[in-house]
Amino acid sequence: MFSQFETWYRDRHDYARRWKERTGGKVFGCFCSYVPEEILVAADILPVRVLGNHEPQDVTEQHLFGMFCPFCRDVLAQGLKGRYEYLDGITIAQSCIHLRQTYRSWEENVPHDFTYYLPHPMHVASPHAVPYLYEELKKFRAAVEQFTGKPLSDDDLDRGIRLVNENRAALHELYAHRKGPVPKLSGLEAMWVTVSSMWVDKEEHTAELRKVLAQLDEREEQFGDGTRLMLVGSENDDTDFIRMVEAVGATVVTDDHCTGTRYFWNETPELDDRIEAIAKRYVERPACPAKDHVARTRFPHILKLARDFDVAGVILIQQKFCDPHEADMVPLRSYLEENGFPTLFLEFDVTVPMGQFRIRTEAFLEMLMEEDLF
Amino acid sequence: MITIGVDVGAKNAKLLVLRDGEIVGKKSRESGFDQETVTNELLAATLAEFGIDRDEVTGICSTGAGRKAVQYAGDKITEVTAAARACFELYPDTKTVIDVGAEEGRAIRSGERGKVEDFAINEKCAAGSGAFTEAMARALEVSVDELGRISLKSDASVPMNAQCAVFAESEVISLLHARTPKQDIAKAIHDAIASRIVSMTRRVGLNKPVVLVGGMARNVGFIHSLNTAMQDEVRIPDAPEMIAAYGAALVAAERAVVAATETGASGPG
Amino acid sequence: MAVHKTAPLKCWKKAKELREQYYRDYASAHERGGIRWTGGAWSFDAIPYGLGDDVYPLTGEPYAASIAFNREFSLECLEATEAKGWARDLCSYMRNYWGSMYLNRFLFGGPYPKPNFGFQDHICCSHAKWYQVVSEHEDFPYFSIDVSVGPYEEVRDDPHKIRYIVDQMHEAIEFMEQVTGREYDDEKLIEAVKNDCRSTSTWAKICELNKHVPAPLEEKTMYSLYVFGTLSKAKKEFADFYDELYDEVRERIEQGIAAIPDERCRLMSDTQPPWGFLKLFRYLETYGALSIGSLYTFGLIGNWETKPDGSWGARTTPMELGVEIDSRDKALEVLSEWTLSRPEWQHFYDPTLKTKMMAQIAKEWHVDGVMLHLNRGCEGLSCGIMQNRNGLVDTGLPVMTFEGNMGDEREFDMGRTTTRIESFMETLGLQPLETA
Ligand code: SF4
Ligand code: SF4
Repeated sequence: MFSQFETWYRDRHDYARRWKERTGGKVFGCFCSYVPEEILVAADILPVRVLGNHEPQDVTEQHLFGMFCPFCRDVLAQGLKGRYEYLDGITIAQSCIHLRQTYRSWEENVPHDFTYYLPHPMHVASPHAVPYLYEELKKFRAAVEQFTGKPLSDDDLDRGIRLVNENRAALHELYAHRKGPVPKLSGLEAMWVTVSSMWVDKEEHTAELRKVLAQLDEREEQFGDGTRLMLVGSENDDTDFIRMVEAVGATVVTDDHCTGTRYFWNETPELDDRIEAIAKRYVERPACPAKDHVARTRFPHILKLARDFDVAGVILIQQKFCDPHEADMVPLRSYLEENGFPTLFLEFDVTVPMGQFRIRTEAFLEMLMEEDLF
Repeated sequence: MITIGVDVGAKNAKLLVLRDGEIVGKKSRESGFDQETVTNELLAATLAEFGIDRDEVTGICSTGAGRKAVQYAGDKITEVTAAARACFELYPDTKTVIDVGAEEGRAIRSGERGKVEDFAINEKCAAGSGAFTEAMARALEVSVDELGRISLKSDASVPMNAQCAVFAESEVISLLHARTPKQDIAKAIHDAIASRIVSMTRRVGLNKPVVLVGGMARNVGFIHSLNTAMQDEVRIPDAPEMIAAYGAALVAAERAVVAATETGASGPG
Repeated sequence: MAVHKTAPLKCWKKAKELREQYYRDYASAHERGGIRWTGGAWSFDAIPYGLGDDVYPLTGEPYAASIAFNREFSLECLEATEAKGWARDLCSYMRNYWGSMYLNRFLFGGPYPKPNFGFQDHICCSHAKWYQVVSEHEDFPYFSIDVSVGPYEEVRDDPHKIRYIVDQMHEAIEFMEQVTGREYDDEKLIEAVKNDCRSTSTWAKICELNKHVPAPLEEKTMYSLYVFGTLSKAKKEFADFYDELYDEVRERIEQGIAAIPDERCRLMSDTQPPWGFLKLFRYLETYGALSIGSLYTFGLIGNWETKPDGSWGARTTPMELGVEIDSRDKALEVLSEWTLSRPEWQHFYDPTLKTKMMAQIAKEWHVDGVMLHLNRGCEGLSCGIMQNRNGLVDTGLPVMTFEGNMGDEREFDMGRTTTRIESFMETLGLQPLETA
């Protein structure tokens, strides 16, 4: 049922190359989930989130000091190894320091026709964030228009917003099937879907997802026996890990990752000024810890997810050296536990010590089961 | 002219005697706690064994972590300078020297006449050094030699993360639990160190030809992994662990010549 | 044998007293009905001065560096922070500061002096988080200003970026009025903004003097002097002190006084040093080498510009340019614009901008080699450092790196680092000076 998504997840580069051939369109690599995809889609550009591939490598040490997160090193390695040679442009919306370096080093070492560093407010709880981003998005739009040589009309932007929103809505529906007592899909399958939505043509992805959604109610395979878990933390697209967790008796039912719900959770509203609508969307989306200032908006959101999806426990995933998440981890952990959600903390590297993580996950699940007895 | 190079490492002290550019003797012993006494004894034993009079020795240069313990050395240089100098002598077209010893790994960009142009040293983590193979061999319950040999039997490629030795050790244990054949794990270990070393070497530029020295240049498994990672055949001198002492003896000879010209005196012979 | 005259700085004692006074004033402010606030070394400290003449800041970075200098207390602080579950690779200043708070011990005696409010700015990921955690633990109100609008070269032609910051500053003033119950005085703000511009420009002028061969100052000394800019750029006494210091350093040059007796090799460093191991710099002297400074000591606080002849020098202040600062809004605008040109802010967006400045320093300050501290304690200033390294190597400069941590001595290995410096000295063709 989910094989198309699995294929897209696995053969991401083939997909993008074929898309280019088929449509003659341009492809942009996006370094952060804060890149306003609506504007790219409106300009008929395929946004592709650039991710790592979980292989040890020896090409980044001369460019990136080793104390920066393994994810950003893995991403840079993909660029240096030429895996994304089909990209016409790259862009980043300013998020954490770690990823900025990857972007700058990539820009320096892997030439592309278009590069754009999009400054982006770091205090999303501030009333000044939307007006500021609004101005920055106008400049971004102009740069994209200049690159394609085609001005974007309101109709174009409406189409961009609609296509991205439709995909978000479909992903929401998919997640709704994980809410009930018997989830209709595994966490692994959900990961294939959400992560692939970050590089597959939105229309195509939505259409395929709609097909799956139409059949889900009838699906025989069930995932109700596993202990319901939520994943929270740094960037995570590690299918091996989630496969292991689900093999030892859990079902992952939701998450707070920039490669998961944070990416698609809220829609772009309908406003007369389309750019303002987009600015609002990106400021109001579930925050990355790097931007969750001064008031914390992230914790209550995570708690709500945990409750809505009725999870028994939360696995907190921390990329080694990831400062934004490290700086949230201690208060987040106690916040969740005070609210009745036990947590398991795991530190990720490019590859993970699966055996050790299996033992810890099993122990965590046993603990959750014991609590059930009383 | 006779000069001597003494390399005092954490484990062994090595001494090498050079007569007019030819190696005429070498000797080593455990450096122990009292490096000063050990190096004194080593010198006495060497002179006695090769029938050299102390007065015949024009210059002595020490190197290695314990170089300062060698009271009788007129010159003291670091292993970086020593290794580059020695490799130039052996292979004049050397561009890069990789030196992997028990404690740390180093990469050196070698310029004209073995002049060090740039160098990189792996930082505190043991994952890029000989100590790492020792720890991993223990985890696999084989000797370090065996670890090297069995890894040659494997053509599997098991990804292993060697950013951190502690992490890597738990990966090895995971692999053992998963009943991965020992030879494949051994290869994974050598691949991981090789990857660390190549990664570090790229910081100074991976220019060929490359010479590999230090204790790890005896490990056939590591050499194979390194060659694969670099897509090249590294050159390995006959006694890779004596390289630093050799380089020190060469430097001692050079400095003796310079000193002689500066003072106008002529050296003996 | 000494080639150059050396002499200790005359104003050294005054510097020491000023610094002690700063911490004493902060700790005792409440006894005198004054206001305490805490925040970062880069906070817009001119703004709270509008609340009155009895406003005292405690800036986290220099406070934490002082802790780090005291290795025993630092270890206690770091362990206290770890005991709470925080990761060991977080900013080590932050961890030292937090530890002092968790232990409820102020380095300069007594318990952790709780501030009336927190006031930070945000360019490094750890900035706003730092005081988010402190304000939650100590339960005080907190405000932070996001300044991450991109490099200065893009800001110059883009008024909305300045406006974004100014708008937040206006909000900050309202916040301060509310939490202190005081009425805000724009005249005091205007004075403070002028002091900020004056002190940061003068510090740059002082650093400029180090272009001279032999250098009148070496970096270890500069660390004890640039600190005033990190304590409070907008404080009148500190701006005055820099004026005095400038005169003295000029005098040193005129009198042929050098920082070290036998200057043979001029180095440049980067990022904060490992504070517990400043003897590293003394070790350089055994080779006749000294560090003339770094983008870090020059541009963390100092404000610079490219002069018409292409050289790098202290930025001309708005007062020197005759800019009229006559209202709150104008003062805030000047302050934002002035601050955004800070050299040490540029690499947060693009490390190649920093490489350019570093290469320029190397050229104009006659640098023979570069020692980059790969500082595990600071993600902010280490950001892009390998790109800087590569860029400098491309210009033909010898560059060495050493790993360490400015505030966590467990991540620094003195023995290995000295060996590495020795290797570097050998590559530069230097041998230890004969000690007579
Ligand atoms: S948020 Fe964390 S995981 Fe993501 S790029 Fe930044 S440091 Fe890495
Ligand atoms: S990591 Fe560095 S720049 Fe960031 S808050 Fe700490 S000291 Fe400042």
